[in-house]
Amino acid sequence: MTTTDHDLPAQSSAATTSSATGTRATRIIGIAAIVALGWLVAFGLGFSPADRDQEEAVRILYVHVPTIWLAYLAFVVTAVASAMYLFTSKKSLGWDRMAGASAEIGVVFVAVTLAVGAMWGRLTWGVFWQWDARLTTTALLFVTYVGYLAVRRLGGSHHQRARRSSVLGLIAVIEIPLVHWSVRLWRSLHQEATVLDTDGDIDMDGLMLFSLFVGVVAFTLLYVWLMLHRTRTMAMEDIVEDRGLDAALAARRAEGEL
Amino acid sequence: MVGSDPTRGADDVDLTPRTNVDGTAAAGPRPRQWLPIIVLALVFVAGGVIVTQFLRSAVDYYCNVDEVGVRDGCDADRRIRLQGTVDEGSIVQDRGVTSFSISFNGSSMPVVYDGEPGGIFKECIPVVVHGVIEQGALQGDRVEVKHSDEYVAVNDERVADATDLGCNPPGSDA
Repeated sequence: MTTTDHDLPAQSSAATTSSATGTRATRIIGIAAIVALGWLVAFGLGFSPADRDQEEAVRILYVHVPTIWLAYLAFVVTAVASAMYLFTSKKSLGWDRMAGASAEIGVVFVAVTLAVGAMWGRLTWGVFWQWDARLTTTALLFVTYVGYLAVRRLGGSHHQRARRSSVLGLIAVIEIPLVHWSVRLWRSLHQEATVLDTDGDIDMDGLMLFSLFVGVVAFTLLYVWLMLHRTRTMAMEDIVEDRGLDAALAARRAEGEL
Repeated sequence: MVGSDPTRGADDVDLTPRTNVDGTAAAGPRPRQWLPIIVLALVFVAGGVIVTQFLRSAVDYYCNVDEVGVRDGCDADRRIRLQGTVDEGSIVQDRGVTSFSISFNGSSMPVVYDGEPGGIFKECIPVVVHGVIEQGALQGDRVEVKHSDEYVAVNDERVADATDLGCNPPGSDA
């Protein structure tokens, strides 16, 4: 195995020579994520107040909103890493694995967003689902990135995989502004943004806003922890795959020596 | 690759497919990766369904109460989605039928809904009602509560202020 076949953006290079994906840094981040998730449970279910209209259903938003924000971030990371693979001369597979790992985590986060959003919708709107602009574009975002993950597994060499998925990763990210602005582009049952709006006013109770902030911190730490482990796991998967090929070539050479 | 230069492989190694004694292939062709192909097919189907459903739902114009009879598509003889705020004191429930009126920008529309609206349906809250306007009233078959982008604590003093002010729908001064 040549090192250039599996070179990585710095953090994973050690892992390719180790049988584990954990390091001191990942353990610290993991513990921080657990603590932050504990805080989220405490604030989300305990300290934060119920909403005047939504009552207890508002607590769902402390998961719903951070997960979609982190999904946006994950898909942007996928796009940036895809661009780095495509447009740098080194063509490092580390960027490709970073793109793939981020997309996987993003898909999981969008799935969580859609699932808890449906619960919130049933409690607040009275329906689990509506073919509304925000919901529809979010569902399309989810499906697109599931497709991206399927494309990554179509076979071929690592660089073939990287090339085709990088192009898709750069195209798919265009959906994010569409999802975010859908509530302005179309009339929508879904409310407009409260925090990420353009007028600067945040119409949210202080403790609710803090709980949301705790949620963002918790899911960000979780994202980083998952990213570190998943990119390293992917590097190992590539190594194992290449070792299979190497073994086959070695067997053929052995035939020739007989 | 494991201590060797892959570019030398073609010279050093016979890469022709191996055969058994009877002439059949020693190893079958590498199995095609069917799962990603199936997932991709499902993705295309799901994408098509999502877009189709979105376009179908868009056939019912999304109108505010004050646009009925004014804006193209917001006519009384077709199915629409009508948005307005539930008027204070207008909710009447009788034998499974819920009647109320909704207002937006100074215009009002009576609504008759065969059922009990779910969600956080109540007075002074924005709703979207699906249905057809007949004899001056919207005959609704679906009521969805539209939550605003404001989040107010249930025990906030502003609740008392809001109660004192009565029903002051957001759309009324829009």
